[in-house]
Amino acid sequence: MRELELYFGPQHVGMVGNFGIVLTVEGDTVVRARSNPGYLHRGFEKLMEYRTYMQNFPLVCRLNVMDPDPEEMVYAMAVEELAGLTVPPRAHYIRTIVLEMSRINSHLFWLWGFGNLLGFDTIGQWAMGDRDYFLDCFEMLCGGRVYHTYIWPGGVRRDLPDGFQDKLRAALDNLERMLPDYDEVFFNNRIFADRTRGIASFTREEAVSMGLTGANLRATGARVDVRREEPYAAYADLDFEVPTMDAGDSYSRAVVIRREIDQSISIIRQALEKMPAGPAWKKTPNPFKWRVRPGEAYAKIESARGEDGMYLVSDGSDKPRRAFVRGPSYPAAILMLEKLLEGASLSDVGHIMLSLNIAAPEVDR
Amino acid sequence: MSEEELKSAIERGVEAATATVQRPGRLLAAVPNAAAVTALILLKARGFEHLSAISCTDWIEEEQFELVYHLWSYQDRIHVMLKTRLPRANPWTVTAAPLFPHAQTYEREIHEMYGVHFDGNPRLTPFLLDHWRGPPPMRRDFNTRDHVRERFGIEERIP
Repeated sequence: MRELELYFGPQHVGMVGNFGIVLTVEGDTVVRARSNPGYLHRGFEKLMEYRTYMQNFPLVCRLNVMDPDPEEMVYAMAVEELAGLTVPPRAHYIRTIVLEMSRINSHLFWLWGFGNLLGFDTIGQWAMGDRDYFLDCFEMLCGGRVYHTYIWPGGVRRDLPDGFQDKLRAALDNLERMLPDYDEVFFNNRIFADRTRGIASFTREEAVSMGLTGANLRATGARVDVRREEPYAAYADLDFEVPTMDAGDSYSRAVVIRREIDQSISIIRQALEKMPAGPAWKKTPNPFKWRVRPGEAYAKIESARGEDGMYLVSDGSDKPRRAFVRGPSYPAAILMLEKLLEGASLSDVGHIMLSLNIAAPEVDR
Repeated sequence: MSEEELKSAIERGVEAATATVQRPGRLLAAVPNAAAVTALILLKARGFEHLSAISCTDWIEEEQFELVYHLWSYQDRIHVMLKTRLPRANPWTVTAAPLFPHAQTYEREIHEMYGVHFDGNPRLTPFLLDHWRGPPPMRRDFNTRDHVRERFGIEERIP
């Protein structure tokens, strides 16, 4: 049969995000796939070299639209390590809450895309609706719904406003009330299982050799999580599980993400309970005159997609010498995706990409 | 294996290598360019199976590029930053893709952004940039503002 070249994205109904895949198809089967990123390339790593440490904060959150807080956190951690700043205990707890809110947001956003691509419109609308309650919390916290610029070196920008905890608890209650419905409509649905079981599966060894982390790796049975391996913020004091599955297919990855939402809700509730009183930030030097001593630091955290890293090099000036971002989607979106798509059915392309939870802005930066 | 044991293993196993323990869980190692692959093989054999990333820093004053291989061991929970320096004029090194398949992508980006050539990498093709003909843009001597001025003529358009 004749081979045809198909441009799947950035403008394609089956594509979520500004990302492209060049497919070579024969009938309905994909013969070859080539990832085609770059539609969101804004040169952030270069721009960060021109800006002072504080000026970079409005930039770093834009490294991932769906899950912006881990990017702020990882940059703040790298700056704190370079500058030798310590963070007050209350700020650790607030950061934990914000990071888990961001994880829930990101997973709900993912559920919208993933559900839509499998033909489940309802679940997507519900997920986006429930996500909005968390966006309301973010708006109350810092004024921004999508980008927050809330986690700063030395703590967070300001303490929790009055009434925030109740609002957040209401959002959590609402989500917890909805989750059984999600399961009934989507996760326990026979059509979902039939469409995803055995699709795009790989082993732990393959995942590690391809640099995959996060839910993609945990779906192959590996119990790895940066929150456990190198606890940051308040995770060492909190009790949570690391959900895993064994098959390493699209179904397992989706179920791992679903179970992570439960864990995030539990973590936020514990952090709200245990949060100590005290200051939420530490005074930092004058940002216009702030020179960070020479050195380098690699900070990493567990974002919604896996290991999020920041390699920051200082030459003693007021601007970073080099800020390198390690996005968890980067290894997944290029080689792994191309490998998984070979031989796949055309109708599975979109959901295979989403099952890896790929965020285009992390690839392009 | 502890950080100190790993430090001595690298210094014994790789020629002219120096290593320092930065803090618990972080090890900095510097090796000459010719020994970089040897060091990667040694680390991979000792459980450093996860290549987090490869980054490049432009030390223009010293006329050098610094490649940093970020490796993580799930077993020992140590992050190694393996550094090697290349001359800035005609930068060239050997690919790490046979050891870590996805190194290919990081090398592809460094090739595009810094102009470093990786021998043995089959795919040093354009990656993020669109029809780019200028010099590698992440180099320190590439000025973003001058480029925008030349390419888009901002000052002529904005009075």
